[in-house]
Amino acid sequence: MFFHIVLERNMQLHPRHFGPHLRDKLVAKLMKDVEGTCSGRHGFVVAITGVDNIGKGLIRDGTGFVTFPVKYQCVVFRPFKGEILEAVVTMVNKMGFFAEAGPVQIFVSNHLIPDDMEFQAGDVPNYTTSDGSVKIQKESEVRLKIIGTRVDATEIFCIGTIKDDFLGVINDPGASS
Amino acid sequence: MSSTTDSVHSVSSDEFATLIEKELEWNSSEDEDDIESDRIKRRKVEELDNAEESQEATSIAMVPQTSDGAVNLETCLHQAPIFGGMCSLCGQFVKDHPAVSLGYIHKHLKVGTEEMNRIRGSDLKSLLRGRKLILVLDLDHTLLNSTRIDDVSAEEEYLIKQADSLQDIPNGSLFKVDMIRMLTKLRPFVRTFLKEASSLFELFIYTMGERFYATWMAKLLDPEETYFNEKVISKDDCTQEHRKSLDVVLGADNAVLILDDTEAVWSRHRENLILMDRYHFFASSGRPFGHSGKSLSELKRDENEKDGALATVLEVLKRIHEMFFTQEYASNPTNADVRKVLKKIRAEVLKDCRLVFSRVWKLGERPHNQRLWEMAQQLGATCDTELDESVTHVVSTDTGTDKARWAVQHKNFLVHPRWIEAANYLWRRQPEEQFSVNQIKK
Ligand SMILES: [Mg+2]
Ligand SMILES: [Zn+2]
Repeated sequence: MFFHIVLERNMQLHPRHFGPHLRDKLVAKLMKDVEGTCSGRHGFVVAITGVDNIGKGLIRDGTGFVTFPVKYQCVVFRPFKGEILEAVVTMVNKMGFFAEAGPVQIFVSNHLIPDDMEFQAGDVPNYTTSDGSVKIQKESEVRLKIIGTRVDATEIFCIGTIKDDFLGVINDPGASS
Repeated sequence: MSSTTDSVHSVSSDEFATLIEKELEWNSSEDEDDIESDRIKRRKVEELDNAEESQEATSIAMVPQTSDGAVNLETCLHQAPIFGGMCSLCGQFVKDHPAVSLGYIHKHLKVGTEEMNRIRGSDLKSLLRGRKLILVLDLDHTLLNSTRIDDVSAEEEYLIKQADSLQDIPNGSLFKVDMIRMLTKLRPFVRTFLKEASSLFELFIYTMGERFYATWMAKLLDPEETYFNEKVISKDDCTQEHRKSLDVVLGADNAVLILDDTEAVWSRHRENLILMDRYHFFASSGRPFGHSGKSLSELKRDENEKDGALATVLEVLKRIHEMFFTQEYASNPTNADVRKVLKKIRAEVLKDCRLVFSRVWKLGERPHNQRLWEMAQQLGATCDTELDESVTHVVSTDTGTDKARWAVQHKNFLVHPRWIEAANYLWRRQPEEQFSVNQIKK
């Protein structure tokens, strides 16, 4: 799920950057430091959308670096248990399948794939219903429910299920072939 | 959390996180602090009615589910792959659950023993239904030979210019991979070998090389990713140092054959192993194995394509596959074991031979423990310590021993020990005259 939130961060800046472009330097550094990172609480920072306020700098003893409290708006992405996500399948094997939704990596075990779908090995491994009408393979888009999440410094892992009503394939690239 | 060290979150964002977490709970009830325990409690109530049913289901499918398909968080035995430290059945963290890492499939994937066996079992059925077995392939000296570019000898320098383009891998056999500073020569026949073997076997690579190297080699052998996709096992995946083991291979032991030039690493799976004659193309490759002469590369020669090691072993693999499905599997589908078939076919090679060894090993060493003795027996020969009428071959490195002289007198075969090794690699009794003791001496 995406959220637009306000976060605060203490930024350290070297005195050589002090001058008319101080603010630009701070913002550039903020983007570099924060975008693409994860925190367990807020999830993945997709983009900074604005800087609300830069507080008064505080000179650090001994180093000459200055710390600025920066309040900024950003879009974050964080999956939650119980959330329904749409994801693209990246890998299918006998244990289940892996899928991605942006920075989130999801694993759906074959235990949580409907029982009527069976694994088919071969050049394009897939899970298919016995009548062949539904197929999950690499590049398929699936709708799944998150049952577990873990947010690391740079990666987000989820356990998903498609064994429930209205879950499963929403777009099958192999259907037309 | 990365951000706690150098940043301070505003109070509002903390509240925000708690808020949405609550908001997203299924039936977010009351003002419970511990949402997790709340949910468990709720589920427990839901499951009271189905308790017996769900336990039965547990014993069969090992998936503790209620009748509506939801997973019981409290009774989950975590017998499912573990991803990112979470059980893929219930989503809970299971850090301490014993499991082997399957990093060759996904960096964060692990599987516990019971689940591994379950997967192997269910996989075996579908594998055999498709008339396929599993073949685990070593890389170095088995399918190819690599040398560090820094180790290329003066006489081999010409090869660097001749290297084939990485833009057209399917049509090349000699590659300079700058990323890993390696020069790699594919073993003659390897492309045909892989193509034909893949119709009979599910193929794995298992190398003691690093993952980065293994991935590159897989790319050279299989540029279209038709054979080895997610099945490249490297040193990084090994569960024991200097050992290869089938414990990380998603295949049942009784359906696996292994091709490798190094016997020692497979000490636990010798019955699955087909030992390969080493492919040394580059000069630097043979040296650690005591080869002092010129290498194939320096002689500008190569192993024979038509009857080289890979062509020979492909024929053996086809025979094993054929015998497995027409006899072993047909007569006993539940306990069919490819190791039995391998043993049987191997024992045909020297089946009517009765061997006596003379001065092949040091006096006082127990012959039964000797590698050659064992090898000859596995090839179907009968081995003896004393001469009698029925002896067909005397194996010796010396023509002057009593036994050697006896063989000549009685017009029996007197062969060098390499006659046995050759039969072992070529899977056929070799013409004795090519292995006479004088000829090979030294
Ligand atoms: Mg090797
Ligand atoms: Zn579990």
